[in-house]
Amino acid sequence: MSNRVLRGAPGQSLAVLAALAGLLCAGIASAGDLLFTASFDESPEGPYNDYEAARFLTQATFGPTRAEIARLRQIGYNAWLNEQLAVPFSAHQPYLDQIAAIPEDVYHNIRYEAFVQRALSAPDQLRQRVALALSEILVVSDQSGAINGEPFALAHYYDLLGSNAFGNYRSLLEKVTLDPVMGHYLSMFRNQKPDPANNVRPDENYAREIMQLFSIGLVELNADGTVIDADPGTPGIQSVPTYNQDTIRGFAHVFTGWAWFNCPSNNFQFCGPGATGAGWFQPMAPNVTFHALEGDKQLLVYPGVSLPAGVLAADARPGATVQTVRDNLNAALDNVFGHPNVGPFLSRRLIQRLVSSNPSPAFVQRVASKFNNNGSNVRGDLGAVLRAILLDPEARARPLVGSANGKLREPLLRWTQVWRALSAQDPNGRFNDWYVWYPYATVQAPLHANSVFNFFLPDYANPGVDVAQAGLFSPEFQIETDTYLTRFTNLLDGFVTWQYSGNNSQFLDPDITLVNIEREKTLSANVDLLLEHLDVLLMGGTMSPFMRSTLKNHLSAIPVGAGNGYRRVTDALSLILVSPEFAIEK
Amino acid sequence: MKRRDFIHKSLCASVGSAAFSALALKLNLAHAASSAGAPRIILGGADYRALVLVSLDGGNDAFNMLIPRDNPHYATYAGTRGILAVPQAQVLPLSALNAASDGALYGLHPAMPELAALFNQASSPIAVVANVGPLLFPITKTEFQNGSVPAPAQLFSHSDQGTFWQTPNADADGRVGWGGRLADLTTAVGQNPDLSMNISLSGENVFEAGENVVPYFVSPDGVEGIDMVQDIPGWTEHQARRAAINALLNGPLAHPLERAYSGKFRRTVGNFEQVNASLALPFNATVESRFAYADANGGDYLGRQLRMVARLINVRSNLSMQRQVFYVSMGGFDTHDNQLLNQADLLASLSRGLAAFHQATVDMGVAGQVVSFTGSEFGRTLTNNGDGTDHGWGGHHFVVGGDVQGGRYYGRFPSLVTVNNPDDAAYGQIIPTTSVDQYAWSLARWYGLADSDRDLIFPNVSRFGSVGHHHLDFLGA
Repeated sequence: MSNRVLRGAPGQSLAVLAALAGLLCAGIASAGDLLFTASFDESPEGPYNDYEAARFLTQATFGPTRAEIARLRQIGYNAWLNEQLAVPFSAHQPYLDQIAAIPEDVYHNIRYEAFVQRALSAPDQLRQRVALALSEILVVSDQSGAINGEPFALAHYYDLLGSNAFGNYRSLLEKVTLDPVMGHYLSMFRNQKPDPANNVRPDENYAREIMQLFSIGLVELNADGTVIDADPGTPGIQSVPTYNQDTIRGFAHVFTGWAWFNCPSNNFQFCGPGATGAGWFQPMAPNVTFHALEGDKQLLVYPGVSLPAGVLAADARPGATVQTVRDNLNAALDNVFGHPNVGPFLSRRLIQRLVSSNPSPAFVQRVASKFNNNGSNVRGDLGAVLRAILLDPEARARPLVGSANGKLREPLLRWTQVWRALSAQDPNGRFNDWYVWYPYATVQAPLHANSVFNFFLPDYANPGVDVAQAGLFSPEFQIETDTYLTRFTNLLDGFVTWQYSGNNSQFLDPDITLVNIEREKTLSANVDLLLEHLDVLLMGGTMSPFMRSTLKNHLSAIPVGAGNGYRRVTDALSLILVSPEFAIEK
Repeated sequence: MKRRDFIHKSLCASVGSAAFSALALKLNLAHAASSAGAPRIILGGADYRALVLVSLDGGNDAFNMLIPRDNPHYATYAGTRGILAVPQAQVLPLSALNAASDGALYGLHPAMPELAALFNQASSPIAVVANVGPLLFPITKTEFQNGSVPAPAQLFSHSDQGTFWQTPNADADGRVGWGGRLADLTTAVGQNPDLSMNISLSGENVFEAGENVVPYFVSPDGVEGIDMVQDIPGWTEHQARRAAINALLNGPLAHPLERAYSGKFRRTVGNFEQVNASLALPFNATVESRFAYADANGGDYLGRQLRMVARLINVRSNLSMQRQVFYVSMGGFDTHDNQLLNQADLLASLSRGLAAFHQATVDMGVAGQVVSFTGSEFGRTLTNNGDGTDHGWGGHHFVVGGDVQGGRYYGRFPSLVTVNNPDDAAYGQIIPTTSVDQYAWSLARWYGLADSDRDLIFPNVSRFGSVGHHHLDFLGA
């Protein structure tokens, strides 16, 4: 192992040392190779053991499997990322089509089913994982009455996120802006220019949220994501707002004149999406009559802004066309995209979704600099941003004992990880168990947040000494209410103590998804082997010595043959899945 | 001994103890955590008191909830609101005991007959508080527009203004609400130290979060238990696994988020055990009948939440609770679109819910000991965007309870004129004429917070009102 530390790139040696120190402090010297001894040629840049491989895959996929750990160790991080960045997106909408063709009614439950199908077995794991992350940033929700009846359109929106997950953020922002689902969700659809006679002015909803939530946030940021202090002489941070009501009004005027792609130009206000709903699957199209050509629009002002003083000048020329409406939209999106906040703002959010609730400012800055310039003078290259996040020393190093790096695993990730790790199989191939969906055991389902603010806020801090009073953040705790903590704990417990393929209980529902724990059963005669296997697969080797000894004591007291030979395994799994050490991914 | 040290020592002492009882430890810790450190204000007497925040999430268009109905004022209203104006003939008249500040006769939205009837009854339990919103100082339109008087940052944003509404002051850091600070700083004679003073029927909220206190979450259908930690004597395998999970929960957790998760888990278990036992007692049949509507026609979420609040109040003695703060909420008020239809449904639910809940407190004989009140992150713009409204600032609110000096209007009503409106910050966003600080302090004062302790929670409130009189009088002068 020491050889490999020396072989690491100079920039990574600190991280590797930190990781080593973490292992030593935790009292685990050199485990992680019990399952896969180095019997194959390894990649020189790592991962160097199963722990590292599993930690990486926990961040980059819906959970490590034994096969993927072995493969990653063989080809290394870079080759694995190159592969993943090249794999096309396994779309969700075709799954809905497939179910509709059975025929069977398709509601959002089938969209959730598509999500779990892809999470469990799609080859484009990184894309799927990033699509989920983006769906929690560029939020639309089936809880909105405006789009609740459109599961296919929401699947199409999700696919838009997935297929652009490694593209350019400017382009993604435009696609999202013009998607009819977003148009309906944040009411830019059919937004129209001022009508002073009727005291009507443009809708400000999308204008506000594209800035606050999709790009720059409320206050000016440093390159490392920390808040700029306008007056360091005064105690506390005197933040600088990124925009004001005039800016919102400016953008609201720009975002006027858009409706279904196939609206006749004389029927902007009442046309529909077409008999087959085709409008839902095409970008919105402009109508110059309803666009606010008149009036200068105050957009964002920042150092280096292209528009003079951030003002998009009125364009009331007689020959204005739909292209004028598009030009205005492009100018406004360029204005947003060019703001220096976008890099640190988006980087911190993506890091929080993939790696840690509390990235260091330096980590944010390293990623943001990739956003600003991918090395080829391109701004907004999401593929480069994701590579920077996943290969960053702070992501790769196992957190030191006592560090706050890491995050509460959000419910969707916790159970998809369990099902992947234990090769869950569904008798009908559907994974549509009612108690998982609807959503009952968690408030979480894809595109199902309560509001545009997602399931949880990036700055939510659990009250008390450990998080809020320590100045830390814990977004995922916001949905960990007593009700859902209880239901979700019972769900995970049931997944592994009841829903396993060797369970011969006559009360086991024959239609239910079952995990396969036969391999674990064969290991269970040797508790150390069993625990090492589960530590790798579920916890990336972060199980503390205390937890391991507690589990060992408990499991060793169970006779090997108890519960038809399964009891040791089901107890080990349920105790791990419910433990605080598993809940917090490190 | 500092709290953290105490917990650390307790945890270390517990590790490896064979006769270790997770529940006892957990309850001791909850007690220790709540009784150490923070100053404690003992609220007087054995009289029960409860505050119930009904949060109207999304920003209620209160200017279409309380509507001027006399001809000249209605004409102004209708001119400004355009297609969103509620027809004059449909407005439900309120006959108030005092004149509104602008001399208008007001009425309620036609979807709110229950509240109109309650407002108009003798010994009315409902007060209307006009145009409340977050402020740092009293501020005029000119002062706002030229920036000479500070206004709260990030006005008109949902998350931020929602936070201002629930925090004790509009320049707080946004983590902690005034209900949370009440629970941090106060307790009452005989109060159960092991159950949170604050109970939420609608999940996380800033209002009830304290520096130390975490609200307990109850669903409208009650509480559910975690199977793995149920005490089932005689089932050896289960008890052994239960001991193991308790050991893991109480183990020496190195990561701050692990400790926070474990704390949350253990609190869930302790709260469940107490609340579940009390909710197993027979319900009050009359109270239940008040909420029968909440199960019909697909259900009424606010009604189901308020029913559970009533059930919990009904078992207050079993839970040894002397002071409680409840949070319920209903969403959907962000009516950028389709406002006329959508808001009517929401206001109907609000009207039925507030009225039924008040009747339930009468049934239980605690009408004078419970106050419910509305909150909403902002009012909405007087102007409209075609079929809806955008984020505004101030808005009107209801306070309901037997102690409320009801049938009256409190605070100054803003102008509704279209052009050169002196209360319009810009774009139809109405500057509040009463600060949330005053509204909240008036409620906390009734709850038992003494004038001398006021500034511990409401540092800005003395900027509002008149010298020596910073509260509103809806719960007594």
